[in-house]
Amino acid sequence: MVKLRARCLLVGDAAVGKSALSHVFHSDGTLFQKNYSMTTGVELLVKCVNIPETSDSVELYITDSAGKETLVEACEKMWGEPSLLCLVFDLTSEQSFANCSRWMERVRGHVQGLQVPGVLVGNKSDLSARREVQTAVAQDWAQSQGLDYHETSAREMENCDAPLLSLARTFQSLYQERLENIQNLSPG
Amino acid sequence: MTDSSPSSLGAKVVVASSSDESHPPENIIDGNTQTFWMSTGLFPQEFIIRFPEPTSISAVTVDSHNVKQLRIEKNTSQNASQFEFVTEKDFEHTEGHLQSNTLSLDGSSAIHLRFIITTGYDYFVSVHRVTVQI
Ligand SMILES: Nc1nc2c(ncn2[C@@H]2O[C@H](COP(=O)(O)OP(=O)(O)O)[C@@H](O)[C@H]2O)c(=O)[nH]1
Ligand SMILES: [Mg+2]
Repeated sequence: MVKLRARCLLVGDAAVGKSALSHVFHSDGTLFQKNYSMTTGVELLVKCVNIPETSDSVELYITDSAGKETLVEACEKMWGEPSLLCLVFDLTSEQSFANCSRWMERVRGHVQGLQVPGVLVGNKSDLSARREVQTAVAQDWAQSQGLDYHETSAREMENCDAPLLSLARTFQSLYQERLENIQNLSPG
Repeated sequence: MTDSSPSSLGAKVVVASSSDESHPPENIIDGNTQTFWMSTGLFPQEFIIRFPEPTSISAVTVDSHNVKQLRIEKNTSQNASQFEFVTEKDFEHTEGHLQSNTLSLDGSSAIHLRFIITTGYDYFVSVHRVTVQI
C-alpha cells in the first residue's frame, strides 16, 4: 500500500471551465482542503484518488492557475517542480483548443527537460450543438503530446472523475517505473 | 575515525515524510546500499535519525538518487523538535549509479539528526544509506 503525492497544474484559457471543474472535484466530498492565496491568485485543491483494484492512492495537489495573463505569471513561479498537467479547453471554442500548444510550451519551458505527463480535457460536452472541436482531432493532438484525452461537462457533472483517475494512474505507473530503475542502480 | 551505520550504534529513524511499506525508512540506516527508502512525491521530504545518547559526529555520508539539495539540522534534546541548522549541500545529478556525498558536521554533538531534502531532480528521490563518522 502506497500513498503517493503529486502536484498537478490546472491550466488553460480563461472561461474554459477550470473553476467549474474544480468545483465538481469538490462536490463528491473527498476533497479535504481548499486554499485560496490572494497574493498569487493561485488556488490549491488537495484531492485524494483511490486507484481501483489496488490499495494505492494518490493525493493530487491541484493548483488552479487562473487563465488571466497577470495571474499566470505569478503561477509560473511555482511550475519548476516536477508536476502533472491537467490542460483544459472548451469544446465550443476552437481558439481555446488552438491555444493548448502555447500552454504546453509554456509548461515545458519550466520543467527543464522533464516529460510533463497528464491529461487534456475538452470541457462543456453538454453544449453539443455548439461544438467546434471534434473528438478525433483533440485525441490525436493529445496523443502527440503524451497526454490522455477526456471530455467532460462540469455543468452536468459528466465524466469529471475520469481525468483525475487518469492522472492518478499515470503517477502510479511513473512511481513503479522509477522504483524499477532504482533497483538497477549500482553503488556510487 | 570509523564509518558506522547508525543502526549499529543503536540509532533509529523516528520520522519520515513518506512511506512505502516495501521500502521503509529503516533501510536508510542499515548500512546496505541495496536497500533504500523512497519518497512518494512532493518536496520537501525529510527523515529524522535518533541516537540513543548524545553523539559527536564529524561527518555523515549519504548514498542517494535524484537528490538535488540536502540540509542537515540537529538537536541535543530528547524530543524531535527545535532543530538548529548544521549544513547544506547541493548534490550532482547521476545517471545509472548512486550519488555519494559526505557532509562535515565538525564533531557536533547530536541526539537527533534531521535530513531535509529540499528539492530533487525527479518526482521521487531515494536514500540508500547514511553512515556516520564518529
Ligand atoms: N455549458 C457549460 N458551461 C460551463 C461548463 N463548465 C463551465 N461552464 C461555464 O463557463 C464559464 C466559465 O467557467 P469557469 O469555471 O469560470 O472558467 P475558468 O476561467 O476556466 O475557471 C462559466 O459561466 C461556467 O458556468 C460546462 O461543462 N458546460
Ligand atoms: Mg539501505
